[in-house]
Amino acid sequence: MSESTVRYSPRGRARAIKGFLRQFLSYGSAQVGLVCLVFFLVVAAVPNILVGPLQTAINATGDFLVPPSGQHLLGTDEVGRDVLNLVVHGARISLMIALLSTVISLVVGTTIGMTAGYYGGRVDVWLMRLTDFFFVMPSFVLALVITPVVLEVMGRGGEILGFRPSLFVILVVIGMTSWAFVARIVRSQTLSLKERTFIDRARVVGSSNFNIMVRHILPNLVPQIAANGALVVAGAIYVETSLSFLGLGDPLQPSWGTLLSLAQRAGAASAGAWWYLGAPGVCVLTVSLSFVLIGNALDDTFNPRRRVIP
Amino acid sequence: MNGGRTGRHIGSILIRAIITLLMVVVLNFVLFRVIPGDPAALLLGGARTSVTAEQMEAQRQNWGLDRPLFPDQVVHYLSATLQGDLGYSFKFRGQRVADLILERLPATIVLVGLAQFIAILSGVMLGLYAGWRRGGAVDHIATGASLALYSTPSFWLGMLLVVIFSTSLGWLPGYGAYSPGTITGSLDSLLDYLRHLALPVTAVALGLIGQYVVVARAAMSDVVTEDYMVTARAKGLTNGQMLMRHAFRNAMLPVVTLIALNLGYVVAGAITVEAVFAWPGIGGLTVEALNARDYPVLQGIFLLLGASIVVANLIADLAYGLLDPRVRQ
Repeated sequence: MSESTVRYSPRGRARAIKGFLRQFLSYGSAQVGLVCLVFFLVVAAVPNILVGPLQTAINATGDFLVPPSGQHLLGTDEVGRDVLNLVVHGARISLMIALLSTVISLVVGTTIGMTAGYYGGRVDVWLMRLTDFFFVMPSFVLALVITPVVLEVMGRGGEILGFRPSLFVILVVIGMTSWAFVARIVRSQTLSLKERTFIDRARVVGSSNFNIMVRHILPNLVPQIAANGALVVAGAIYVETSLSFLGLGDPLQPSWGTLLSLAQRAGAASAGAWWYLGAPGVCVLTVSLSFVLIGNALDDTFNPRRRVIP
Repeated sequence: MNGGRTGRHIGSILIRAIITLLMVVVLNFVLFRVIPGDPAALLLGGARTSVTAEQMEAQRQNWGLDRPLFPDQVVHYLSATLQGDLGYSFKFRGQRVADLILERLPATIVLVGLAQFIAILSGVMLGLYAGWRRGGAVDHIATGASLALYSTPSFWLGMLLVVIFSTSLGWLPGYGAYSPGTITGSLDSLLDYLRHLALPVTAVALGLIGQYVVVARAAMSDVVTEDYMVTARAKGLTNGQMLMRHAFRNAMLPVVTLIALNLGYVVAGAITVEAVFAWPGIGGLTVEALNARDYPVLQGIFLLLGASIVVANLIADLAYGLLDPRVRQ
């Protein structure tokens, strides 16, 4: 139904995007968040070039629990591995899990929210009842009981799509349990969008329901999805870190949470090995704070009404 | 005041709470049936226990495992759960899951209750003040710090506290609830307990303070721009009168809701902190159950967390309706 869609001039769209970026980048918090995020994404993209392959107990390069020095900038762990090497590789794993589970969460949340809002009636009631459950129950609590059971069924050996099974299960479970927030926002937005005249116009020229949702409603939801997506990532990092800390991660692919779990088991805190537990924690803090700052700035940019004039 | 409407409002809140709780129990039921192996063997304490075939058969009948999955087993499971029968632990052989959880619950309630209390007092006050004096120095520092705290896993704060106050300075213990060798019941043991409590409570409280500051500040800054505040100033009220009579009461609405909601969530949030400090509460039990793949205990904990969250939501909804008559319409 391409003839029924109104085409925006490319120049107008470019101007709109430029205006958005100027507004978004004018927030100091957005700048800080973006810079930190880009730094960590670069680190996560090329860990092998920066610090060489992931160290194990076999190819560890240092002594046990050595404080930071010129040779080991962030010290070593209890088996002599370089902590800098571990956190750089951990960045890749933590960010991959957080981003992929966010993608799942956004897809599920948008689909359910849009379907509920668009069709209304009984579909809406049942989908929202389901959403209520996932809205009330935190992802962490659900994942805490679902993850070990699914792992028991699947087994812990081998790899799925490049992930160890426990990490794969964690990322799917986080994605499948953290979408309710998105679904609610998308639904309320869809409810108001479907009353607009351009939807009526699309219906009159014979667009199918699916077509209307994907081509007319979805593009208008992008601002909400983007602003909340950033907050979903921050939540996913928190849940993954907590689950891995409780021992549900995989030592063969250590995320930051798994490193904190290893540090805890090695007694790093009572041994005073602040570098060992400090490095992964600072990374978690920086990345999730960056996403929160970016999310808030996006929200402020898209909803100028929420900015109260001081 | 319309009594019928209020009744219907409360009724719909109650029904939603019951549905959510039922879904928690059904999820537990499904998960338990998904685990490979005979549920009877699982309920009797895993493959590690040696039970005779007759005992097994007796238990199968007792738990209704010889009957069809639906509706017999589901109904049986629901009624057993309602009566507090959550099965037996794998790890702590022969112990009932319900007893294990009840035994650990007080330690968690003390930890979480005290932390909530401290976080509410300091966080809400700070947030309200920051919102009242928007753009001031306190506002900038409090907002920045609380966003950082909000993004930090509280168990990591706990680990830092151990390194600083326990390992380096040696001021406070960072492990367990009692020093070995203290006689329970004496004043010394109480002081010892409080000293052990200090760091875990601080970690949980710091994790909560960020949220309270953010929400209280947002609520207050919404209130100060309302028309009735302009009216109050026009009437010639002093700052103090405006704050106490108008701003404070209205700003407390979202804060009270958050406090009620947190009653349910903090238990889950404290799990990781308890793991850091080997605090003998629900969190410690969770870690032991996870390591030993003790599914009945894990599911009992899930039920407890689910129930506390549902009840907290119920309280929040009811409180909101009570405080804000507009909600009931």
